[in-house]
Amino acid sequence: MTAAEARASFFRRSLAVCGKDAAQELRRRIAVASVLFFAAASLTLVSFAIGPFGLPPEARERVCSALLWVLLFFSAATGLPRAFVREEESGTALALRLVAPATAVLAGKTLFNFVLFAAIAAVTAPAFALLLGWRIGSIGAFAAVLALGGLGLSIVSTFLSALVARASQKSVLFVVISFPLLAPLLLPAIAATVSASSGEIPWTALRVLVAYDGAAACGAYLLAGAAWEE
Amino acid sequence: MKALKVLLLLAMGATVVAAFLWPEPAQGFLGESSRIVFFHVPCAWTAALAFIVAAVYSLMFLVRGNPWHDDLAAAAVRVGLVFAVLALVTGSLFAKIMWGAYWNWDPRESSFLLLLFLYGAYLFLRAAIDDPSRRGRIAAAYALFAAVLMPFLFFVAPRVTQSLHPQTVINTQGKILMDTPTKTVFFAGLACFTGLFVWLFSLDARSARLDRVRASGI
Repeated sequence: MTAAEARASFFRRSLAVCGKDAAQELRRRIAVASVLFFAAASLTLVSFAIGPFGLPPEARERVCSALLWVLLFFSAATGLPRAFVREEESGTALALRLVAPATAVLAGKTLFNFVLFAAIAAVTAPAFALLLGWRIGSIGAFAAVLALGGLGLSIVSTFLSALVARASQKSVLFVVISFPLLAPLLLPAIAATVSASSGEIPWTALRVLVAYDGAAACGAYLLAGAAWEE
Repeated sequence: MKALKVLLLLAMGATVVAAFLWPEPAQGFLGESSRIVFFHVPCAWTAALAFIVAAVYSLMFLVRGNPWHDDLAAAAVRVGLVFAVLALVTGSLFAKIMWGAYWNWDPRESSFLLLLFLYGAYLFLRAAIDDPSRRGRIAAAYALFAAVLMPFLFFVAPRVTQSLHPQTVINTQGKILMDTPTKTVFFAGLACFTGLFVWLFSLDARSARLDRVRASGI
């Protein structure tokens, strides 16, 4: 097999894994429903506690940015770890190991998780801004921060999902092991969201997010075999 | 080996005495508070060294599959966590004297706390997996993945935000801003703490190997 054929095969298999996960999700809608329900419940509580006039104007950008990312992180922690856990629970892990290499499986599941995160963010972020009376100065920068932050969150969550898939106390374990790894992503993402909401384009923080996403993708790619294969 | 242990004891004793008696307290710090640098920085250095050692043995375990390398990686993390806690405690004491509060969310304080969470999570992950071979592989993958993202915790986050931390060792000029007695005691402290780490690490790893052999016979 030539290098070009190997690349094409990798992308084809990754897309097939992503398509399989999407088809499974559309059939049962467990991840989407649980994540959206969690996001809606958190949003209701935050909105009820703060409302559109509960924050002083000078604190609004910082508090809203932090709350939005806290909400997105815990919503993601509800649904994204299911990527590999589902395969173990339904007994399909062995078949998946036989038909696709670990890197293709990880890439496909990361892609699906990113789409899932984008769907959550597309619903949650506008609702959050609306309910808390939060005006975003630069929509483009805000969307870029959400996309880059979401990509990093998806890569790390998917990789860690493969690690916890056969451990006991998976959901608690996932939050415990993901928080310290995601904190270097969430802190610049929050800082970038503050800048984007005040109308600036946060170039430094965006570069940090790109670098983090790249490093996480390389790490996950190189360690995919150790995390997933027997 | 026994001679090395006696030598370490003597060197550590001499360094502790010298830390309190030889160098003058540094200017710009309250009272004698600057002397904590002789204990705080070596603890932080030893913790960082331990986590690098853990990453190296994790990689060796993944490449060669030798369970002894997994014992060594886990032992390095356990001993590194002890030094990380000591670095946090000594740092908090200094923060209370200099800045008025034990905890100030300084970027370096925060990154060290996250490091503690990270390697605490490593031990939690190990405890949650029963099969020893799978445990070693998963823990090694986590340790290496953490090592890939650690530069963001240590080098990116503290530099993109303002820090209260003194700049005597880690600064933008890349120089060590100390006089000769301070520098001598400081490097003696680093050497002694590194020696102490090597001793504790070796004890812990050998104890882990005995536990493994007793449990599974491999």
